[in-house]
Amino acid sequence: MTNVAAVIVTYNRADKLGKVVENVLAQDRPADQVIIVDNASTDSTAEVLAAYEGRPTVTVERLSENTGGAGGFAHGMSLAYEQGADFVWIMDDDCYADSDALRTLLDGHARAEDSMGMRLPFACSVVRWTDGDICEMNNPEPTWDWGKLLARGEQSVLVNSCSFVSVMFPRWALTQFGLPLAEYFIWFDDQEYTRRLSKAGPGVQVLTSGVLHDLGVNRGVNFGDVNAGNMWKFEYGVRNEASYRWHHEDAFAALRFAQRLFSGLRGGGVPWPLRRRLARKWVEGIRFDPKPRFPRTVL
Amino acid sequence: MGVDVYQLVEEPDWFSALSPRESRLLQGALAYHTLVRPGQRVRLTVLRTDGPHPPSLTDQSTTRIEWPSDRTVVGTIEAQATGTPVSATAAVDVVVDLGGPPESLMRLERPPGRVHEVRSAVRARIPVAFDVARQKRTDRLENRRLSRPIPRVGRSQTRGTGSASGSPRAVLFGLHWLELGGAEKWAAETVGMARDAGLVPIVLSDRPSGHPDIARPVFDDALVIPLSHPMTGEQESRLLSDLFRRFDVRGVHVHHCTWLYNRLPWIRAHYPGTSLVDSLHVLEWRTGGFVDIALRMSNVMDSHHVISPQLRDYLVDRQGLPREKVSLATLADLTVDPAGSPAVAAAPRAPGAPLTVAFVGRFTQQKRPYLFLRLAARLHKRLGDRVRFVMHGDGELAAEVRADHARLGLAGVVELRGTGRPVADTLAEADVLVISSDNEGVTLTSFEADAHGVLVLSADVGSQASVVPEAMLVPRAPLAFLAAAERAVVQLCDDPGLAARLLLQQRSRVDAFAALPRARDWTRALYERWAS
Repeated sequence: MTNVAAVIVTYNRADKLGKVVENVLAQDRPADQVIIVDNASTDSTAEVLAAYEGRPTVTVERLSENTGGAGGFAHGMSLAYEQGADFVWIMDDDCYADSDALRTLLDGHARAEDSMGMRLPFACSVVRWTDGDICEMNNPEPTWDWGKLLARGEQSVLVNSCSFVSVMFPRWALTQFGLPLAEYFIWFDDQEYTRRLSKAGPGVQVLTSGVLHDLGVNRGVNFGDVNAGNMWKFEYGVRNEASYRWHHEDAFAALRFAQRLFSGLRGGGVPWPLRRRLARKWVEGIRFDPKPRFPRTVL
Repeated sequence: MGVDVYQLVEEPDWFSALSPRESRLLQGALAYHTLVRPGQRVRLTVLRTDGPHPPSLTDQSTTRIEWPSDRTVVGTIEAQATGTPVSATAAVDVVVDLGGPPESLMRLERPPGRVHEVRSAVRARIPVAFDVARQKRTDRLENRRLSRPIPRVGRSQTRGTGSASGSPRAVLFGLHWLELGGAEKWAAETVGMARDAGLVPIVLSDRPSGHPDIARPVFDDALVIPLSHPMTGEQESRLLSDLFRRFDVRGVHVHHCTWLYNRLPWIRAHYPGTSLVDSLHVLEWRTGGFVDIALRMSNVMDSHHVISPQLRDYLVDRQGLPREKVSLATLADLTVDPAGSPAVAAAPRAPGAPLTVAFVGRFTQQKRPYLFLRLAARLHKRLGDRVRFVMHGDGELAAEVRADHARLGLAGVVELRGTGRPVADTLAEADVLVISSDNEGVTLTSFEADAHGVLVLSADVGSQASVVPEAMLVPRAPLAFLAAAERAVVQLCDDPGLAARLLLQQRSRVDAFAALPRARDWTRALYERWAS
């Protein structure tokens, strides 16, 4: 039987985490193992997780330091792989999966593989915001022939990349391509990873699989929104994307990213000191080129 | 069981005076030469030697009626294949050499040739530097191998004649040779399982093999033909087609036998009803080994049995074989039953008692005994009498190990034990077993150690991670291996409770591994299907 591991990474989200875990445990096709990675939370996350300790399918991993979403996912996926998972389904700690999200992902992925006659390296869900609209932060990028499966009667579209909010990877993708880059810490780790996997073929967004992303506001990444409070996240994002564009695409892609970055900053009227800090991060990205780790086969 | 494929015209007196090993070798030669010459009487001149020469039973030299001076004639014997009328023409002459005694074959410590001589000399003088270079080369080859597709043979489209239904049902086995260690130990067990399922075992071995294990009871009712190469193409096809004519060969089970692997496309073309499976044990990054050959042949094969999760992931995930074609079934219970033998509770060492660190295994390049000796030297220097060492084994590097042992001044520090002593004695004394190999599948010794409550400290190779806790896995590269292994043993010495904690982790890994499907069950079910 196919062994599916669900991996949830959490950091200081005690208020939402319980609902996330409950939704995963209540799947009509249950995950065979649920791995919750606590990124050294400092709120009451431990108390929330205490309720799940001892459940036969649940593993709680408490990390000694916050490794960011990227480190948490790399850790949880590695553990799932070691424990013999055939598929790893991952999500953030503010993602409420519909009760059939996993089953439809598995079915949609299998049907898409049959239809395409090839292995597909990931399958993601449709991510809704709290008002039922599409969640702007989590829109996958479609391929040029994205409608191919729709034309064949499948409820799926082909994609190049997606976010880590309800995406499922088959084991072979981890064997061949390794784990997400923990060094990215946060932002663009999902884009880098799914684009890395897309070398083996497109991913698929299964339109019948849905989750709700409980974000405060429904807004994608926009460099015009940079301020002193959210600057730390944008710093990671700029460094990571510059690194990806330079090292995994080409110098022109990195320069186009710089142009997009600075026109966004200018459009938002972001103060010059912050712009300069992001410029330095862009330069840092050129020197920053982490290599993927590969999970270890245990079972 | 119906394995009388030949009959002797007359049994000579000397025949019964042969050792059981020589007798089996001769029977194999008689079977081969009569099968490839149906309808002809074959007159064999049988030779032997005292020198370190493996048997030469089936290769082209057997057609020449001259031989080297150090051979002596054991006698002559005439035979013919059963079931075929013999023509009136004169007998065909064949000369077979039973080779030297097994003790002399043990002296074949390295292959002949200048390159091997230089290589051995370098390894004997500077083994760690030698190993650094070797492992770097392995890394390079590993990367290259993963980035290049392995060519595959085409699928067979033909419909052949099929095997001889109505004849005794049989399994054709391919073995590397007849020394029953590691992969061949499992192969021998499957031979017995085939017999138990009512199938005639036909065993072909690939490499010249004068090992005494051919006389083991497991081969009693089997047709064993130890091949020596090169044979003529005509005789190769005759041999196989005659076996398929005489027996209803339900399946071919390849255990590390290059010769038989390479003939699988031919077998599939002519006998498409015969199942073709193999058992794979270890990924050999340097040469590709049998896993690469299996991949090349996969299109004409029905199933691959693998003994480790690592091999499954390699074949399915890396090489894209269909998941249903690869069966993971472990040998965890080949020498011990990990589920049935709860680890001996780690008896806490008496206060002041030294920590005993052991090496158990063959002294071969793969096992890297020289690294264990250097680890012992480092630990002795650092910990003095708080740690003691036992090195248990023998093999082609035995002379190098002894020389190294003396050169490093380890007399009285590392106790060397030969294979005359049971391994269980060493494991009973040991606290830690060191596995310094540069390549493994998953070592059976690890299960034996766990059953004795011994903690395993291993190079992170193959599927060792399946049974060894992460804290006890150390890098394969020699310098990093020595540093990390030294650190781990020092920690065990300094923290008396650590060994018990790690042993619990080890037990839980061994338990999880033991819960995977077992090779015996998988094979039994397979042979029952073949026998039905």
